Amino acid sequence: MSDRASARAARRANPDYRILVVDDEPDLERLVRQRMRRHIRSGRYGFEFAGNGIEALEKLAQNRDIDIVLSDINMPKMDGLTLLQQIPEVNADIRSVIVSAYGDMENIRTAMNRGAFDFVTKPIDFADLQVTIDRTLKHLDEWRAALASRDKLVALQNELDVATKIQQSILPDKFPHAEGCEVFGCMEAARNVGGDFFDVIRLEEGRLGLAVADVSDKGVPAALFMMSSRTLLKGSAVGVGDPGAVLSEVNDLLNEANDASMFVTVFYGVYDPATKVLTFSNGGHNPPLVVHADGSSEELALTGGIALGAIPEFEFGQASVQLRPGDLVVFFTDGVTEAINIEDEEFGLEAVQALFADGEPRSAREAAEMILQAVRDFAGEAPQFDDLTCMTLRVADE
Amino acid sequence: MNVQAEHHDGVLLAKVEGRVDSSNSQDFERQLQAAIGDDVGAVVMDLAQLAYISSAGLRVVLLVAKTLGQRNVSISLCSLSDPVQSVFEISGFNRIIQIYDNQADALAAAGK
Repeated sequence: MSDRASARAARRANPDYRILVVDDEPDLERLVRQRMRRHIRSGRYGFEFAGNGIEALEKLAQNRDIDIVLSDINMPKMDGLTLLQQIPEVNADIRSVIVSAYGDMENIRTAMNRGAFDFVTKPIDFADLQVTIDRTLKHLDEWRAALASRDKLVALQNELDVATKIQQSILPDKFPHAEGCEVFGCMEAARNVGGDFFDVIRLEEGRLGLAVADVSDKGVPAALFMMSSRTLLKGSAVGVGDPGAVLSEVNDLLNEANDASMFVTVFYGVYDPATKVLTFSNGGHNPPLVVHADGSSEELALTGGIALGAIPEFEFGQASVQLRPGDLVVFFTDGVTEAINIEDEEFGLEAVQALFADGEPRSAREAAEMILQAVRDFAGEAPQFDDLTCMTLRVADE
Repeated sequence: MNVQAEHHDGVLLAKVEGRVDSSNSQDFERQLQAAIGDDVGAVVMDLAQLAYISSAGLRVVLLVAKTLGQRNVSISLCSLSDPVQSVFEISGFNRIIQIYDNQADALAAAGK
């Protein structure tokens, strides 16, 4: 056999599409092979033949590659309409085309009800048959593409579940009891997100490191970036001490391998219960709110920082605030203030401030849960696009 | 969200409209990269019609600014609405990207 001839034979042995023709008319095989010879030779169609429904099911069971069944209705042993009902049991991915007598609407309707994709009438017009086959194959290709993207979507969903698990696994669920203050934090993850975290770090001499952060993107890469941010922050917090120096060090470490230009906004503060002083550095994060016992409140000053990971060798400044008995510091992410309702309005910082205007004393936990509940009530039916994170530090009353 | 490109004497002016958040930040990046192309001397992004930008959108701006920086192409922003201005100030990105009050100032500085 010449090279060309063997290449042709290989194509014929492995056609693009396989069609099973089911008919008790023995001459049909010769006719199909003759009229479709060009497509058979080019390797587009491959044909198999069966004389009745039983034989057809046997062929389908043997050959899993069949794409289309082209079947007559009236046949011995098992007719075409019965065959139609059996096909999905063997392979749900097959499309059937029925060959019926001209004008036999009753059988055609029954066939369509039983899942036939299309029909052609006798005597077979081969040009029409080819159009029908090509249309069926096009539909089949689209159907398979849709199935493939659904599978991809499922894979993606799994990936996002992984992101959420990574995120949940690193959040503290126990909060330290320090002298003269209490701390609470909670997060409500948006579906398919892995961006926010908060942390409470025990430092020397009873001081507490308090961090809240928001990674710029979503999904697994963001969750991994969040993971390393949190670990680096914890390491620096224990080792370095000063909030400005902590953020400077974490920023340099995050910049070492950050091709994706990811960044994380971080607010990091150290609270000393002995002096009630909160020293803090803000790395591009929403400034926390200090709520006083009388219900008034103000934002903490910015400290000239920038989101971590954006540029290396940046000197982060820091500032301090003297807290009073009964003060509450509310740390949050922009998921709180930028939550939107169905009218596309933002919740906003003023709404958070208004919650505390009554001057009612609340525990750290009550305050944090009240904020998240207020955001949920405000958003109503509007989908939650971003994680909601809220952490509170409550200085004990005198 | 939509990005429209205009050319002003070798300066590419990219006008951004609408909202940019994590749902369309990839599209924002594609449109912006397509608008910028390979041979501009300077880029000005006019954000007058940008209603909202989330951190995912900021990341795209940072990515584009870094890429252009490596090519020695300058980038600046102009005409930010108050909410967008505040996003740039809080994140600290106003420290690494030049921001102008209006388009004329930005184009004049970029054209030099």
